[in-house]
Amino acid sequence: MKKLLLPAALGLSMMLAACGSDDGASGNAESGGGEFKPTESIEIVAPAGAGGGWDTTARMAAKVLQEEEIIDGKIGVTNKEGGGGAVGWSYIANYEGNPHKLFVTSPPMIFIPLNGQSEYDHEDFTPIANVIADYAAFAVREDAKWQDLNELFEDMKKDPASITVVGTSSPGSMDHMQFVQIAKAAGVDITKIKYVSAQDAGGMTQLLNGSVDVYSTGVAETVEQVKAGKVRVLGVTSEERLEGEVLEDFPTAKEQGIDETFINWRGFFGPADLEPAAVEYYEEKFKELSDSEAFAEIREQFGWNEMYLDSEEYKAFLDEQREDIQVLLDELGLAK
Amino acid sequence: MGSLDGIITGFQTAFSLEAILFVIIGVFVGTIIGMLPGLGPISAIAVMIPMTFGMDPATALIMMAGVYYGAIFGGSTSSILLNAPGVSGAVATSFDGYPMAQQGKAGKALAIAAIASFTGGTVSVVLLMLLAPALSSVAVSFGPAAYFALMLLGLTAIASLSEGSTIKALISAVAGFMVVTIGIDAQTGTQRFTFGNMNLLEGLDFLVIALGLFAIAEVCSLVLNRKDKSVKDTHNIGSLKLDKQDLKDMSGPMTRHSFLGFILGVLPGAGATIASFISYIFEKRLSKNPDEFGKGSVKGLAAPETANNAATSGAFVPLLSLGIPGSGTTAVMLGAFLVLGVQPGPMLMTDRPEIFWGVIASMYIGNIFLLIINLPLIPYFAKILKIPRPLLISLVIVFSMIGVYAISFNTFDLYMLLLFGVIGFLMRLFSFPAPPFILAFILGGMLEQSLRQAMTISNGSLSIFLDDKIALGLLILALLSFVFPLLKQLRKNKEKAAEA
Repeated sequence: MKKLLLPAALGLSMMLAACGSDDGASGNAESGGGEFKPTESIEIVAPAGAGGGWDTTARMAAKVLQEEEIIDGKIGVTNKEGGGGAVGWSYIANYEGNPHKLFVTSPPMIFIPLNGQSEYDHEDFTPIANVIADYAAFAVREDAKWQDLNELFEDMKKDPASITVVGTSSPGSMDHMQFVQIAKAAGVDITKIKYVSAQDAGGMTQLLNGSVDVYSTGVAETVEQVKAGKVRVLGVTSEERLEGEVLEDFPTAKEQGIDETFINWRGFFGPADLEPAAVEYYEEKFKELSDSEAFAEIREQFGWNEMYLDSEEYKAFLDEQREDIQVLLDELGLAK
Repeated sequence: MGSLDGIITGFQTAFSLEAILFVIIGVFVGTIIGMLPGLGPISAIAVMIPMTFGMDPATALIMMAGVYYGAIFGGSTSSILLNAPGVSGAVATSFDGYPMAQQGKAGKALAIAAIASFTGGTVSVVLLMLLAPALSSVAVSFGPAAYFALMLLGLTAIASLSEGSTIKALISAVAGFMVVTIGIDAQTGTQRFTFGNMNLLEGLDFLVIALGLFAIAEVCSLVLNRKDKSVKDTHNIGSLKLDKQDLKDMSGPMTRHSFLGFILGVLPGAGATIASFISYIFEKRLSKNPDEFGKGSVKGLAAPETANNAATSGAFVPLLSLGIPGSGTTAVMLGAFLVLGVQPGPMLMTDRPEIFWGVIASMYIGNIFLLIINLPLIPYFAKILKIPRPLLISLVIVFSMIGVYAISFNTFDLYMLLLFGVIGFLMRLFSFPAPPFILAFILGGMLEQSLRQAMTISNGSLSIFLDDKIALGLLILALLSFVFPLLKQLRKNKEKAAEA
């Protein structure tokens, strides 16, 4: 064992030395108040498998950050899959204070800890910057009797057992809670909502074949089916109407008199106890990313919206989100 | 524009020099990835996405589709040679492919797999071209009740997968059911059997179980039997040539399972793995000599290999015509489409016919190249078996571990692989068959979830299974499939009794 360790340790120290010699500084950035600059390659963790929303965001951001030379240096994206994010979070938690480890996350950062599936929550990390917002859409079949959200919610109040809502995530997580949040604001008894979880994009299938009545999903997932005249979107959860062909026709819950929104935010976090200089550095870089034309193009391609929050705003936003969700989970009896 | 014009545009796209070049690259990469246990098409396509940025969308998608079906094509190689399935769709291939290789007929087994894959791939592309628009409604016609019935039909196969004791096969299946319940339950969000271990929250990956029960357990047996002279024969590769009888044996299953595999592939969530199992079982039921199955039967090898490739083309029906991904791989493909500015969905065929038909048309070329790449390489692949046994065994262990680690880069999975290796080895020692375990593991998750979805939707009333005509039909089939072998057995017993 020792024989193996020695060359490995030698190799590692040589690599570290090589990295350090780039700009004369070694390993850690200088402490306190000074300027921060990454001294080794940056790792952005997507706490999920390849191909999902987190992974796509991480890879696209890394690409633009490097190609537009916003960050001078290497950025690698790694996947730490498992536990709906919990595995990736516990990986980052090991790197307290390390300014070269970032990760991308979104509302499950709130849901998963509240559901008792992760010992870490957003307070165990440093929120750096939010960059993207996405919104929920509630879709029904084109031949459904409901023309708007209020008609649907009226029927849900009268006979909750007659309406089934489908989503991809399990109860207490995103697709379920985004619907619950809006329904609650409309005065529906949320403990009586009939929700089934269908994995592998089964939600749209089950809506189209008539097994279920309402599909709670992301806005982008509905566009093509709406264009083809197969489904109708009763409402979206944004503050104002979205921009873009088809999207602009979706009414918001707000304009239907339901005073509630749901944002599927997505942004970047670092480990706990980051020095202020490093946070400032990344805030600036992600702002530049968010303002870049290259990233605007990517946003358009994926149907994402711009939503930049700096570290402080982000933290306040997350605290508020958690409080709202906690109340709903308590009422549903799902809080752990 | 009629669909004929569209098809012509598609062929023009697919036959451009650029497209042909990239389809070759795609299927070649796919074959390699498919051969290596664990490295599946999902990660390959995801890694390729940023690289295709700025490429012509049709060409890029043609290449990525090539990786996908190339991986299923190539997945048979390690199943046959090493009993280590490269992709989950190739597990059933090992049931008869590996015994055949052990009998010194590795070359023949690989040739059968290549020809069956080619046939399944090509016939299903024809079906895809003719039926894609029409079949889009079939893809969404299965509700939760129908899926439950389909899974139940699949389960009746446990009896066919067992050799010897039916009781032991059933115990093995029950164990598979138990293991699949590990993780967060989708319908309630409750953790089941995770013992507070975060690594178990998402349950165990199929490949961890398959590689453990098959590859690692096989390694243990090889080590145990190293003094056994009879195993030496495996050094023989044998001839690649198929005789008339082989071709005759193959033609039936290849025809049947090109269709069956395609249809099962069309259903979201069913896919290549389930298609290959159901085809295997179906073929065994049809066979006059079911005893040959599992001991190197030509039919038993040709059926799943045809079906898994046909299912891969089938999976493009919901993806291209509805924008609904039916599996992890097609979900990543959907992401690739989006990156390239193409939105798959009901409008794709009219809006972007060059992409819709171009991807489909390229599959003809892709399948031909897969055959051309694979057939001449068989003698070289098969040389793997000439590697001295101690080295080969070590290589199987190393590749299985790399493959499992590549799933999620988590060392915990490696311990699980070893655990299931030991379990698989013990099961062999006490002659509990592994296939029923794997089958229950594959079907169990969807069986349970679809039953509970159906029950929630119907507010607990079982009438949903009678109202849903597809479910009813499948349930009747399942019942017949269960009762017939019993009757057969009863009659046999009676005859025996009469003779005595």
